[in-house]
Amino acid sequence: MADNILEVKHLKKYFKTNRGTLHAVDDVNFSIRKGETLGLVGESGCGKSTIGRLILGLHSATSGEILFNGQDICKADAQQMHDLRRQMQIIFQDPFSSLNPRMSISEIIGEPLIIHKMVSSRAELDKRVLELMDVVGLSQRLENSYPHELDGGRRQRVGIARALSLTPQFIMCDEPVSSLDVSIQAQVLNLLKDLQAEFGLTYLFITHDLSVVKYFSDKIAVMYLGQLVETSASDELFRNTLHPYSQALLSAIPEPRAHHKMQRVKLTGELTSPINPEPGCRFAKRCLYAAPYCTGQDPTLQDFGDNHFCACFRAEELRKEAAGIEE
Amino acid sequence: MNFMTTITTTTIVKRRKKKSQFVMVWERLKQNRLAVAGLVILSVIVLAAIFANLLFDYEAMAVRQNASIRLNPPSSEHWLGTDEVGRDILARIVFGARISLPVAFATILIAAVIGGLLGAIAGYGSRTADNIIMRIMDMFLAIPSTLLAIAIVATLGSSIRNLLIAIAVSNIPPFARIIRSSVITIRNEEFIEAAQAIGANDRRIIFKHILPNAMAPMIVQATMCIAGSVLSIASLSFLGLGIQPPTPEWGSMLSNGRQYIRVAWWVCTFPGIAIMLTILSLNLLGDGLRDALDPKLKN
Amino acid sequence: MENLLEIKNLTVEYHTQGEIVHAVNGLSLNLRQGESLGLVGETGAGKTTTALSILQLVADPPGKIMGGEIFFDGVDLLKTKKSLLRSVRGNKISMIFQDPMTSLNPVYSVGFQIAEVIQLHENCSKEEARRKAEEMLEMVGIPKERYEEYPHQFSGGMKQRVVIAMSVACSPQIILADEPTTALDVTIQAQVLELMNDLKEKLHTSLLLITHDLGVVAQVCDRVAIMYSGEIVEQGTIPEVFDHPAHPYTIGLFGSIPTLSMESTKLTPIEGQMPDPTELPAGCNFSPRCPYARAECHSKKPGVTRIPGEATHELRCFALGWEQPDETLMEVIKRGR
Repeated sequence: MADNILEVKHLKKYFKTNRGTLHAVDDVNFSIRKGETLGLVGESGCGKSTIGRLILGLHSATSGEILFNGQDICKADAQQMHDLRRQMQIIFQDPFSSLNPRMSISEIIGEPLIIHKMVSSRAELDKRVLELMDVVGLSQRLENSYPHELDGGRRQRVGIARALSLTPQFIMCDEPVSSLDVSIQAQVLNLLKDLQAEFGLTYLFITHDLSVVKYFSDKIAVMYLGQLVETSASDELFRNTLHPYSQALLSAIPEPRAHHKMQRVKLTGELTSPINPEPGCRFAKRCLYAAPYCTGQDPTLQDFGDNHFCACFRAEELRKEAAGIEE
Repeated sequence: MNFMTTITTTTIVKRRKKKSQFVMVWERLKQNRLAVAGLVILSVIVLAAIFANLLFDYEAMAVRQNASIRLNPPSSEHWLGTDEVGRDILARIVFGARISLPVAFATILIAAVIGGLLGAIAGYGSRTADNIIMRIMDMFLAIPSTLLAIAIVATLGSSIRNLLIAIAVSNIPPFARIIRSSVITIRNEEFIEAAQAIGANDRRIIFKHILPNAMAPMIVQATMCIAGSVLSIASLSFLGLGIQPPTPEWGSMLSNGRQYIRVAWWVCTFPGIAIMLTILSLNLLGDGLRDALDPKLKN
Repeated sequence: MENLLEIKNLTVEYHTQGEIVHAVNGLSLNLRQGESLGLVGETGAGKTTTALSILQLVADPPGKIMGGEIFFDGVDLLKTKKSLLRSVRGNKISMIFQDPMTSLNPVYSVGFQIAEVIQLHENCSKEEARRKAEEMLEMVGIPKERYEEYPHQFSGGMKQRVVIAMSVACSPQIILADEPTTALDVTIQAQVLELMNDLKEKLHTSLLLITHDLGVVAQVCDRVAIMYSGEIVEQGTIPEVFDHPAHPYTIGLFGSIPTLSMESTKLTPIEGQMPDPTELPAGCNFSPRCPYARAECHSKKPGVTRIPGEATHELRCFALGWEQPDETLMEVIKRGR
């Protein structure tokens, strides 16, 4: 499709470790349309952050393609990568460690402008930095403060201002609110949403929190041990959850309501290691519905209509079963 | 997308005055009483060394021998007494500082620059570079530093220049280790990734992001090492391998006074106290600096 | 039922160079036998300080318990002797910390660490302690064959199970759990919460669960206390508070969290930040951020009032007593969630 800003094809990233090859990202495909938000959901160690780093060229892929506006990031040389960075930016999870403690707020926000020579004078730089601080709701008097003098929410706003400074088309948000307090979380989420509407930004929103993703994303991709297990439009996924792992993930979220006790946990055991994985469904060992044929060969993403894809051998069967019970 | 120009920033708010890093470090250091004490002692010693010529006549009091006043105890005329050939001990200590302190500072400067550079290359560069550099450093670390310095001076002959080289060389490995480990820690911080994501090149990352954050352990290590260096100079002179007589030097004064300790305690006690005070003040200052340089520690 | 733990007017301050941090300001709280109470608040609200004060583990200096009483089984822990306090710690009141990685000693096997706690408090033989420790491991769902293994051989969720086993080993009367599942993944968190629910029923232990996650509280607790700037601003049973939150802060908190059952597309966050704990406002601590605040709120501290018509629902807010009530606020409270 022409309006895809980002297309990821057969992306793989293996790390060599002492205990074998770690399949951090294993044959992942997805695309994001301009102006949309894709939520990439998974637990720690599933490879979601690695995907983000690969897209920004902070890691190099083992194989596969990442097309940004049609240009392959994996093949870009240093100069091309430098130019690409003006169009895509990142907001980090931890606003404590992602800001250089020895630089003032204005230096941090202004740095990208200096690197990319987007301002011609000191006065212009100052003006732009103040404008950016205004955009993200930071008071101007904080201009000369240092990161450790700010609280988490304000620091995250600094990170957002830095990402915005190059006027990118695409921003990767790597758990941008998970280290913030609840009331601050909502402020930052709303800010990100407003900025998207105002500047037509495209987001890749990486998180472990399905409830945040539901609020925030147009499309959702659920990831387990380096592979996508289910992708779909946001409402569709919550209405019609197909993959047993997505179901388990959903049922595990404690709802803040009285008279709404958590359902039975549909998961046993813990995350298995992505080092030298055996062929077959990687979730099979923890899956309540696993059948003998789930191991031995890899499941692929199957189309279930409405752009809803799921990588489970038994998805069709289970869906019918569930529908049968409901009827 | 040219959104930034459309937003007007008309609100004029009273902005906080920008404080430089130096001022902030100084303000924090000031609150540490022990560090201030260290700084005061050190300043007194440095000032005395600088203005030594105004205080004493070098030839008359620190070098010329005067048998009539040998081994005089402390008195109003000679505050700290005189030594075995009738030289004023206070004058010799003050002139001795003119040797010990500059040599110590110079050795640490050399060691810090070379060690820092090697450590930065080892920490930020390839694995091979890291391995080669650090194994060589390990070899040096395996030899006791005093022994290494003795060997160097013994081979090259004893002069101030050779003393400087000897002590500098033996101080390089600890610097390289410290800088390497802090560079490795900092390299894995998220703000380095953030810098890469906005397109900063390696040079900018090293000089703007890594080194300023690695300065704190480096400065602390330097203050501690100066103390060690003062001691090394004194030990080498004590062994007769450092500064040659009649040039006054704390170590050799200590060494000479040793023979008279039963009849004239002041001859070796006061040079010893001078060494101790210098090292103590540098250590206090180093401790204070370590806390003051950490931007995360408030107040 | 009688109160097992009763905190009255607890005030804790941290004295750092020239500044006084008001961490806990006149907090009163009680916990009954077999009950689980959720203490909810954001970073810096004073939750952890409150828990540490109960066991008098607040680091002094800089921390100082300035006043108040903490009655446990009729004895004021703040006035009791050190030796008695030691027998209470870990034995009658045990604590689970947030980070399972750091609360286990890496050089001892997990079984040994549990057995050690048992031996320390129950004066029993080594063999007996070992047998009991194995029982504890089985109880939290770890096969006893793993007794000899070391903490690094366990995953995060498993480690937290070991910590829980340790804390219930001496069948304490109260467990203080400080964010026990925050460091865990959601699916693992669900397993640990289920385990805690099971144990609670089996052992009839009282639980003080400290968390920032309202969802966790709803799943585990009977009652909830909402903390803001060192004070409890609202407390009541789960249905009372979750169905009809009445304090503007609690209302704001619920508006801030995206939930699965939520249909709206925009969150309604609380504007502004928590007040600086070194300079608390003159009036109600929440007044600078409160959309309903009136002049009175900015100058006077509100007391605690029971909400009419509800059994245990208490509130620290002026709004319910106003002669001319705030229409919007009343509407919001009535509508509930």
